[in-house]
Amino acid sequence: MRKLFTLMGLLVVASMVLAACGGGATPTTAPAQPEEPAATEPPAATQPPATEPPAAEPGILRVNSVTFPDIVDPQKSSFVSEIAVLQMVYEGVTKLDGDLNTVPAASDKWEYNADATQLSFHLRDGLTYSDGSPLNAARFEYSFHRNIDPATAGEYAAITDDILGAAEWRGCTDSCDDEKAVVDDSVKASHEDGSDCTGYDDAACNTFTLKFKQPAPYFHTVASLWVGYPAKQELIEAGGENWWLDPANQIGNGPFVLSNLEQGVNAHFVPNENYWDTKPSYELDYSYIVDSAVAFEAFKNDELDIVVAAAEDLGTIQNDATLKEQYVNYAGSCTFAVMFHQLKEPFTDPAVRAAFSYALDRNAWVTDVLQGLGAPALTWIPPGFPGFKEGETRFGFDAAKAVQTLTDAGYTVENGQLMKGGTAIPIELTFSDSPRNRTRYEWLAAKYKEVLGIDMPLNPVEATTYTSLTKDVKTAPQMFILGWCADYPDPQNWLSVYWKTGAFGERIGFSNPDMDALMSQADAELDPTKRADLYQQAQDMLVAGGYVAFMWNNVNSYLVKPWVKDITRTPMDANWPGQQVPTSITVEAH
Amino acid sequence: MATYFLRRILWMIPVLFTVALITFVMMHSAPGGPWDRDLSARQVDPATQKVLNTYYGLDKPLWRQFVAYVVGDFTQEGKFDCGLVCGDLGPSYRVRGRSVQDILFEPPKGKSAIYSRFGYSMRLGFLAVSMAAIIGIPVGIAAALKQNSWVDYLSLFIATIGISLPSFVMAIFLIIIFASILHLVSVIPKNWDEIKAWILPAAVLGFGTMAYVARLTRTSMLEVLRQDYVRTARAKGLHERVVVFRHMLRNAIIPVVTILGPALAALVTGSFIIETMFSFPGMGRAFVTAIGQRDYSMIMGTTLIYVFLVSVANLAVDFLYVFIDPRIRLED
Amino acid sequence: MTEIAGPQLPAITELNVRGRSPWQEAWGRFLRNKASLGGLVIVIFFMLVTVFASVIAPHSPLQLHSGKSFLPPAWVEKSTTGKTGDQQFLLGTDTLGRDALSRVLYGSRVSMMVGFVPTVIIILVGTLVGMVAGYYGGTWDNFLMRLTDIMYGFPDLLFFIIVLIALRDTWIGELMSGLFLLFFALAIVNWVSVARLVRGQVLSLKEKEFVEAARSIGVKDSRIMLRHLLPNILGPLIVLTAFQIPNLIILEAILGYLGLGLKPATNPDAFFITSWGSLLLEGQTAINAQPFLLLAPAVCVALVVVAFTFIGDGLRDALDPRMRGTQ
Repeated sequence: MRKLFTLMGLLVVASMVLAACGGGATPTTAPAQPEEPAATEPPAATQPPATEPPAAEPGILRVNSVTFPDIVDPQKSSFVSEIAVLQMVYEGVTKLDGDLNTVPAASDKWEYNADATQLSFHLRDGLTYSDGSPLNAARFEYSFHRNIDPATAGEYAAITDDILGAAEWRGCTDSCDDEKAVVDDSVKASHEDGSDCTGYDDAACNTFTLKFKQPAPYFHTVASLWVGYPAKQELIEAGGENWWLDPANQIGNGPFVLSNLEQGVNAHFVPNENYWDTKPSYELDYSYIVDSAVAFEAFKNDELDIVVAAAEDLGTIQNDATLKEQYVNYAGSCTFAVMFHQLKEPFTDPAVRAAFSYALDRNAWVTDVLQGLGAPALTWIPPGFPGFKEGETRFGFDAAKAVQTLTDAGYTVENGQLMKGGTAIPIELTFSDSPRNRTRYEWLAAKYKEVLGIDMPLNPVEATTYTSLTKDVKTAPQMFILGWCADYPDPQNWLSVYWKTGAFGERIGFSNPDMDALMSQADAELDPTKRADLYQQAQDMLVAGGYVAFMWNNVNSYLVKPWVKDITRTPMDANWPGQQVPTSITVEAH
Repeated sequence: MATYFLRRILWMIPVLFTVALITFVMMHSAPGGPWDRDLSARQVDPATQKVLNTYYGLDKPLWRQFVAYVVGDFTQEGKFDCGLVCGDLGPSYRVRGRSVQDILFEPPKGKSAIYSRFGYSMRLGFLAVSMAAIIGIPVGIAAALKQNSWVDYLSLFIATIGISLPSFVMAIFLIIIFASILHLVSVIPKNWDEIKAWILPAAVLGFGTMAYVARLTRTSMLEVLRQDYVRTARAKGLHERVVVFRHMLRNAIIPVVTILGPALAALVTGSFIIETMFSFPGMGRAFVTAIGQRDYSMIMGTTLIYVFLVSVANLAVDFLYVFIDPRIRLED
Repeated sequence: MTEIAGPQLPAITELNVRGRSPWQEAWGRFLRNKASLGGLVIVIFFMLVTVFASVIAPHSPLQLHSGKSFLPPAWVEKSTTGKTGDQQFLLGTDTLGRDALSRVLYGSRVSMMVGFVPTVIIILVGTLVGMVAGYYGGTWDNFLMRLTDIMYGFPDLLFFIIVLIALRDTWIGELMSGLFLLFFALAIVNWVSVARLVRGQVLSLKEKEFVEAARSIGVKDSRIMLRHLLPNILGPLIVLTAFQIPNLIILEAILGYLGLGLKPATNPDAFFITSWGSLLLEGQTAINAQPFLLLAPAVCVALVVVAFTFIGDGLRDALDPRMRGTQ
């Protein structure tokens, strides 16, 4: 028996030793930072006793980025938190400003040819990476090329498919030399006079040209996306598949330098001294706390400066004088709708679709389910985005009208079943099973029962199974909630990318050739006013047709400490407020 | 005896193979695939999907994929890519570019192996089991010796909390108490080199096991208490401590040891909720999320690691049985 | 020898002592144990709640009340969210304004069954396997223990997904709103630890003298296992049972979290509507807004655990042959 206890005692001691050893000295206050830039000051005196996290110093912004990236590679990343890292370290040829206009970034001007089938960027003179090495157009040629390369197989690669030859090369599986040659020609770095560049050290290599398969006058906005960020070829190739794990390989041209990337735990950024524009005045620190209750505690404990404010915590926030001041809430970049399967009964009938849209009490949804974190929507493009239509009222909530529309079209409701001509048409609500979704669909079922009297059994399905169901038009559910968030602030992304025949609308069997024609026309239109008008007509057609029931727009809901100032808010702040223009932010002493 | 243990070790191979086969079949029969991601994220478009399927060999027949996983297969250039038998657990489907053994066993650059995800989980698991044993067993003994006293009821109360509170609830409570109110630790542990940061996660992880161990020890001891040889030992005038430790505990400890073995394996791999709540850099998350994400290699890899750990743990437990009670014979 | 006149004893014609079987004696002991009696009362109470939930509950568990979300319990003047309790909703409301008390009452149905039914299967199967493996040893032990190693190893979650998805739309999946399938899956996955525990106990017990004695007089193996070994392993077995129950209740919640839970009901007349496990999950995110959403089901689970623990202890004490005559 003694032996057993000794053994166990040893076990405990061993685990303690193992846990504590390695790493030597145990710092208790500031996090292990590689170097101290001049901007930061020693920790302020006001610190809770014996705590762990970086002291609340002026000059460090501590953000909760929620989910740790799966991969931080410009041509392979696609998640919100991955983009939040890339945006800080790199910069594209263009970028978005606080009003979501596309403004110069790595390039200082750009020019389309006469029919917008070609776009040329002129890179800024003297542009360098954070390590001082020169950044020329050849770098962008490499990054755009890499994005299209089928070997890369990036999840967002399709976004640049307007480039001539891109779609063909991406989808090519055997010998692809011909397809590759086309792309070699469409994505080209050159000298100002058009002659070829000699390499990455060629200082005169300052022109970057893209050729498109049809006119694409919006592409300067697409070029701001992370898929074109100029990561260094030699570092990628030397580092192999895992090159992105080592901050030393992430040499970029953005406002920050990645100084630390700890798997699952932390990402830390310091200002880029070689950034061409205003340098940030603070260091940036991302934590990755997935549980919102824990993140909230950390915020209240002064361990984080910015966190997402979850719906459940809104009541507590509103009722607390301090927290109330720290709460920000502004329009987001997503629209959610109840999608009706155009090819499945009963939603083949526009009258049923209309009735279901009239029966949807969007205000109650926002109040009950979203706890106020949202705004009812009756149109596709959200407020704050170019193309938004103010004052749309069609298909809004009207319970009486809903019932009337159904009756007028010859439907009755008996015993909770929708009936036409004596036959019952069953409707089932299929959705991805999660506690949040259950609440949502339970509400939906209850409300439709209340207004229309129809019983809709709930059918929750495991998440991945659900995704595979929705991808095929044959197995997609009759009705389900789905949203779209803008990739870039242009109506082309909202309309053409989503609703053209064969695009995302295909999964519900949507196809409208008249709308297709309008959208294609708008895509190619060079005159901005005419273009905006054409897109508006397309959106109008979308709304008038009552194909789906637009439901709500999301909001960006965050808690921000009072010493974080001058945040430039944009609807596209999907990860943290001010992320689009981080250089405007200042972190005061506190 | 030595042959027995050798045979047990050899038996692990067919066990692992069977588990691999069953898991492989099951995971490929689950609907959906690695490219069917959460709908809130951008979906992989069909062209890219095709390329990826070719790259990962998902377009090959299932039997061939299984053989490729276990033994190996020839790449497009004709090279032979060795599989499981060479220690290659396959490429992750979710984190493209990294292999499963990379993700689980590779420490960050320049650090020793205990800083890998597996290393962190091992340390946490050991710590949790140790806490469960070191606290649970004495509490169980005390409760048995003082049956129906306040010690007994207090231990019952704590045990009840331990098992009826799910870990995600206990975690948030403890965080609120120890971090927000008492400020003894921070909500976000920044430095895992300090033992302080490990206490809460280990406590939450091991609490259930500790409660179980305490009750089990108590029950076992109560059984033993009624035995004649205890009365004899006491009648002989032996010191109480000798009676308890040398005579009673030895017999009572068998069921406890039985569950502690697999408990260790389960705790090492089952820290999903702990990792979520405390941002702990372990490998527990991989077990759960891999299945939802249909990351086939990760599912196979984590399953095999778990079976391996459990088999080793059970072997160790059987070994301990003999140690504790020499009358136990393992072969027949 | 003279006759000494002793006290006159009445003629004994019949023995007026009613024989009591060991089971009756055990039952009597069980009832005299106040703790186990209390436990039994609690379990019976929850069983009644299970059956009569629709009668006792003040509201329908599915009834939404717009604008009344996250109300605190009726006795709270002003909660941290600034809301006041409403007499109508004794324990407050959840995110959609549904009455928390009613939901907890209805939740007992699924939770009590999820706690009970698979546990019975698990204990039966696990004990059988463990006994055989431990008693016979050799190849039986090897085979059965390797089988448990395999079962231990393969990912429960994957198994759940396959079974629940594959069979969900079949007649098996429709039984009892999908609960039958859930019980079946839970039982298959959880019997292994019981088997190992029983095996360990049997290994240690079978070398004891009383077993040797029984064998030497030719008692059949099955009788030895049933009559001699089983009562002695009852102790840890009962503890295990007492722990399985909350384990299963919470496992059901986690399955719900991962997308494999009970089908939610839209019809308030359905028997199975929600479970304590689901309520725990819903309550965890709302811990700041309305802590009673979490506390109510947690207290219920705790009560059930304590009840079963006391019953278990009481059972073991009552059935222990050595206790005879000590109470």
